[in-house]
Amino acid sequence: MTTSTLADAPRPEPVALDAGDRTVDHRGSWVPNGAMIATRFMELRRRRGLMVALILVNIGIPAVFLAVRLLAHAFAPHSYGPAGGYDIFTSMVAGVIFIFGFIVAATLGCTAGSVDLTEGMFRHLVVTGRSRLALYLARIPAGLAIIVPLVAIGFTIVCAVCVFAAPTQLSYQGVNVPVGLSHTAFETWAGDHADEVICNFNFNGQMVANVPCGNGPGAGSGIKVAPGGAIPQDTSPDVNRTQAIAMANQDYVDYSGHFLSPSISLMVKSGLWIELYATIGFLVGLGLASLMGQRTVPVILLIVLEIVLTPLLSHSPIAHFVNLQRSLLGLAATHFEPGGLPSVFGGAHNGGVGGVAVTESTLVAVCVLAGWVIVWTALGAWRMVSRDA
Amino acid sequence: MSTSTVDRVAPSTAADNQWAVETHGLTKRFKDNVAVDGVELLVPRGCAFGYLGPNGAGKTTLIRVLLGLTHADSGSMSLLGYPVPQHRDRALARIGAIVDEPRFHGHLSGHQNLQILAAAREPAARTRVDAALERVGMAHRANDKVAKYSMGMRQRLGVAACLLGDPQLLILDEPMNGLDPAGMLDMREMILSLVAEGRTVVLSSHLLDEVERTCDAVAIVDRGKVIRQGSITELLAGSAFELQIDCATPERAGGLLVGTQWGPGVDVGPDGLRVALEPGTGREVVAEVNRLLVEGGVSVYRLQEVHASLESWFLEVTTRLGAPQ
Repeated sequence: MTTSTLADAPRPEPVALDAGDRTVDHRGSWVPNGAMIATRFMELRRRRGLMVALILVNIGIPAVFLAVRLLAHAFAPHSYGPAGGYDIFTSMVAGVIFIFGFIVAATLGCTAGSVDLTEGMFRHLVVTGRSRLALYLARIPAGLAIIVPLVAIGFTIVCAVCVFAAPTQLSYQGVNVPVGLSHTAFETWAGDHADEVICNFNFNGQMVANVPCGNGPGAGSGIKVAPGGAIPQDTSPDVNRTQAIAMANQDYVDYSGHFLSPSISLMVKSGLWIELYATIGFLVGLGLASLMGQRTVPVILLIVLEIVLTPLLSHSPIAHFVNLQRSLLGLAATHFEPGGLPSVFGGAHNGGVGGVAVTESTLVAVCVLAGWVIVWTALGAWRMVSRDA
Repeated sequence: MSTSTVDRVAPSTAADNQWAVETHGLTKRFKDNVAVDGVELLVPRGCAFGYLGPNGAGKTTLIRVLLGLTHADSGSMSLLGYPVPQHRDRALARIGAIVDEPRFHGHLSGHQNLQILAAAREPAARTRVDAALERVGMAHRANDKVAKYSMGMRQRLGVAACLLGDPQLLILDEPMNGLDPAGMLDMREMILSLVAEGRTVVLSSHLLDEVERTCDAVAIVDRGKVIRQGSITELLAGSAFELQIDCATPERAGGLLVGTQWGPGVDVGPDGLRVALEPGTGREVVAEVNRLLVEGGVSVYRLQEVHASLESWFLEVTTRLGAPQ
């Protein structure tokens, strides 16, 4: 190699540049500064198409569904029940907000985790000398600052409609029943409405009463009878009352879980539960997309996991694979589902109450949730640090 | 992941080190392909330094290694006197760089993109965004989305991003790409002004004419190796040159010279007589050739030394040394 005498070549005298000690900005620190978080938030928030899609899914769908119910009830109250109420709330929370919140959060996480790389900004950012770990961690508060309010708005709309448009009477098994009765009061009320109770309430036991149901007095058909063949004669009011009280006694546990509107306690618990799951969805999406370096495939993977695999694998334990089933993110999350809600994936929650599917202890559920967050965050951060830019 | 065995360079030389970039035995392999092969590079401070090489020579890979965008397999390097990768954050705090095609978030404006980059730098960088845009002539389009920018505008925005850190060293990879002639002129003037401020500019380019006009020194890289480096003046002075002779009878003049020591370099063509001379040939040779022709009865109107341009010299060294072994 030929090397000329560069060192001896005349060079211009250096001008006084800003050569101050820039280590004071802690550029090598893994802790992101506020400006990094703020600009990352801006970058995500200004993705108009993505934001519109996320708002439509997480706020638009529940809002449109409830608006249609409100209008239908307003114009034809006899044909369409109230838009809100306890049952609508539980269905919306467990069936819509929980799953859509996760999908929306995972999509935003995948976006935050991949766009710097796919859009060529990652290289610019690395050249600043800023710690790559700090660049990764800045995405977490920025993304959560979007996803948490987004989920909260959708959930608040559901809560508002379900509370303010709740029915004024409780329809329990097709019978208008006063809400909030004590066990004794419920039995007393049943005794006073023996015919309705006998004809409509579920009962698992020996029927001793016999009343005509729905087809007028004396009609044979539609009579609720005790099992055993011949239709007995109409029973006395006292027998009917005793039968109704027995039925009410048996159904009270189920009745006591029905309300006109969701309680504040249930709404708070449900809101926190949904936000927890959305946060986990965001972190998992962020880590997975950072690891893979792209957005589309991680989003598809997480949607398939959430709406296909988890429901399928939650329904019944598979021999030798139960522990693998227990590691499902959604299943572990349903373990912390508030008591009044139906099971999201049709399986068990709260340690098996109300379902027959895969069960797990609280400790296992906590470990599964923490594991998903820690493992994917670690993998994403590691890839961010080690990746060629 | 390959394990880096980059040697440590002794620190504490940052302030006084005369080299903006210093590498020794720097090597980067991609499986069997050696993209950077034991590169020894010295870039003096306060100059415009051209980094030239054919496509695939390893120019961009070396820049990526220097900036920590990818890891070196062996060798040592320092930037502004700071050994890297050990003190890369300190070095990069004083460096601005464009690597490959400058790409930004298309849904954001140029100003917003720079805000993101400034946020990752020191707090003072956030106050330099407007000035940087002004300096590269992008202030009037600062609030337009980058998706609407032309390639040349993105190049300018890339340079603006480099200026956010008030850098002592700028590493620009093909900054002229996509620029129209006026844009290239602007870019050249800006580079020269940056150098005039005492900054060092490393310019990787295949536009040899631009490099020749802009840079004080160059390094030629081929097949991952630096095969020449030095000031342009010195390097070209060391190359062969021609003596172009305008005379009444070129054929006769050629005949007179064939029998001399310069005979092998004699070429009589439609544009006259040319005599190729060895590198380092002194001016007295020109007088000697003139005397020989005049004494031989040839009327000589003009003798002119024609030195190789950077382009022809570049082609000469890269095709000769870069030919298949």
